[in-house]
Amino acid sequence: MLLLPSVVVFALFIFWPLARTFYLSTHGNDIFGAPSTYVGVDHYTEMLTGEFGKVLGTTALFTLISVLPAVLGALVVVLLLEARLRGVRLLRTAFALPFAFSVATASVVFAVIYNPAIGIANGLLGAIGVDRVNWLTDPSIALPAVGLATVWMNLGYNVLVLSAGVAAIPPEVVEAARLDGATGWRLATGITIPLLSPQLFFLVVVSTIHALQSFGQIHILTKGGPDDATTTLVYSIYEKAFAFGSSDFGGASAQAVVLLVIMLICTAVQFGVLERRVHYR
Amino acid sequence: MASSRLRRTGRLALAVLVASTLVAGCGSGGDDGDSADALDAPGAEALDSAGGKTTVEFWHAMKGANAAAVDKLVADFNASSGGKVEVKPVFQGSYDETIAKYKASVQQKSTPALVQVYDIGSRFMVDSKQVVPMHKFIEKDGFNTADIEPNIASYYSVEGKLWSMPFNSSTPLLYLNKEAFERVGADPTKPPKTLAEIGDLAKRLTVKDGGGKTTQYGFGAAIYGWLLEQLLATDGKEYCDNGNGRDKLATKVQFDQAAGVQVAQWWADLVRGGYATNTGRKTDDAQAAFKAGTVAMHLESTSVLRGYVDAAKGKFTVLTAPYPKINDASAGGPIIGGASLWINGVGHSAAEKRAAWEFVKFASGAAQQAQWHTGTGYVPINPKALEEQIDKDWVAQYPQFRTAVDQLHALPPSVASAGCLLGTMPQARKASEDGLEAAIVGAKPAEQAMKDAAASIQPEIDSYNKSVG
Repeated sequence: MLLLPSVVVFALFIFWPLARTFYLSTHGNDIFGAPSTYVGVDHYTEMLTGEFGKVLGTTALFTLISVLPAVLGALVVVLLLEARLRGVRLLRTAFALPFAFSVATASVVFAVIYNPAIGIANGLLGAIGVDRVNWLTDPSIALPAVGLATVWMNLGYNVLVLSAGVAAIPPEVVEAARLDGATGWRLATGITIPLLSPQLFFLVVVSTIHALQSFGQIHILTKGGPDDATTTLVYSIYEKAFAFGSSDFGGASAQAVVLLVIMLICTAVQFGVLERRVHYR
Repeated sequence: MASSRLRRTGRLALAVLVASTLVAGCGSGGDDGDSADALDAPGAEALDSAGGKTTVEFWHAMKGANAAAVDKLVADFNASSGGKVEVKPVFQGSYDETIAKYKASVQQKSTPALVQVYDIGSRFMVDSKQVVPMHKFIEKDGFNTADIEPNIASYYSVEGKLWSMPFNSSTPLLYLNKEAFERVGADPTKPPKTLAEIGDLAKRLTVKDGGGKTTQYGFGAAIYGWLLEQLLATDGKEYCDNGNGRDKLATKVQFDQAAGVQVAQWWADLVRGGYATNTGRKTDDAQAAFKAGTVAMHLESTSVLRGYVDAAKGKFTVLTAPYPKINDASAGGPIIGGASLWINGVGHSAAEKRAAWEFVKFASGAAQQAQWHTGTGYVPINPKALEEQIDKDWVAQYPQFRTAVDQLHALPPSVASAGCLLGTMPQARKASEDGLEAAIVGAKPAEQAMKDAAASIQPEIDSYNKSVG
């Protein structure tokens, strides 16, 4: 009985939409987007094209280039901040600051940086005599450019989590290691990183899920272009359901089911492979 | 304990039941819901017999200066209605967002009485079976259709009958940077007329600095499907089959034919030769490039002229020229783009429908259109607006705007320049942008790119036609 409120909330906001998604994914739509006839697995077989393969590839690549640099970068930052320097607190705040930006705000800032006509990045490059880079209009550069923006957005949160992890390492362990003569690199690889592994594991799992769900920065920076180079699975779902007067909720729902399956697999694999190496205290 | 819990559950269930009935009651509101005459045009007596004030919800997609012009128009109308009608303007986001919300409102049976929909949503609105065709009101009132610019009206007409009232209309223009022309000794008073001429001039107008860096491009425009639609229309080509979808439902798009491929090839050659900059699909970015003076020739709608003139003040002179043609033999004219007003019948009372029509009639008056024209830069849909004094003064101040009006009047009425009526036109436009972009960035040869793009939209067209056919 005490569980009832949470069960109701879960049923209403998680299970019902999930069931509805499955239902929609097996139905066609009328011109207003309301489900019409039953079409079986048609929406799923529609996905067996090279185009959808490209979407999956883009999604995988985007996840890779936004998760790994953000986690490793945050680790490097946190280890460097371990050094007893003056103003380290200021630096720690500065590195954690991106966390305070919403995705939309940060994306708009990056849109100004990358702007093809009046962008800051090209302005700086021009000042040192380098020809302009088509950040968001060259299909081979757009995805890394959006990935870079995402890394910046995620860095703050990652730094925050890892800093907390470092602070939680018992000082006597570090003290003992220092007495044994471990400093710098050896201290990091032998003591700090293994003791941070729960936090690192958490970040990898959570950032992967976040990356797979990324929407705001893609919508604001590239709208999935150029030449679909930044159309990830979530963006493709959005386009099918809402963009350009489209209301193919059936096709979009089928893709959403695929996204769910991919996330489940990713998370399961991460728990199966990575978690064994995690050292819980 | 058990019994009190049971009683509580019972009471809860009752409350839910009552609440849902209430919600359902609200949803189907209005007095004539789905009755057969929902799509008829009521006469003036409908408003008189309705007691009190009739409220008309008006969804629109105008922002910035244009939203201010809408608010002014609505305030003027409300004041003139003598307290009988109140129009409530509601901004719903972009055109795409407005039509997406409209679709949802149809499902929830809560449509606004009046909605502004972009030109390419017209076929969908006809097929939605929700709206009272404008010609029914026109017949009822003996409204003088000479007050509507015929070239603009033709876009919103199906089988010769007007379905919606044009509201904001724009035509495409070729924009020139006068000083950029003069610096290379080109004559800005003799603007290029064809794509080939733009291409030749673009080479002369591209300027590099000592280090080989390009400081000014000859040409630059957004990868915007509307521009391609316009070029095809000036070439007299129909964008989709079955007489641009005006004889019966269009079954395929035709932008992958020779003329469309030629445009893609021309554009790709300019970009890949370094004579045109590719700023992507966002019109804002292409506009920024022209305003920054880094692009000498540029294609855009008339509706941005005011902003260009303001932004270029003190830096360079903005000139306008008629929209280019694909080649010398092209004998068509551009399509009048923009948006129109639709009156919803289903779920709305006779008084609401009538009140919406009264506002539509008011908005298309000469004085209102002159104010709209000068406040926004859109072409007036009522030719008499051009004779209003504020309009004359404005055109005298911004002579560049003459080009759009002249171009509009020189337009030979044709099926091609009436524009394509297609239920999935917004997606077709997006597909054409996919094709252009693939050619411009060099992902595919132009012909392949346009063929693939046209093929990609086919399933959507088929499924749309199946669901309304």
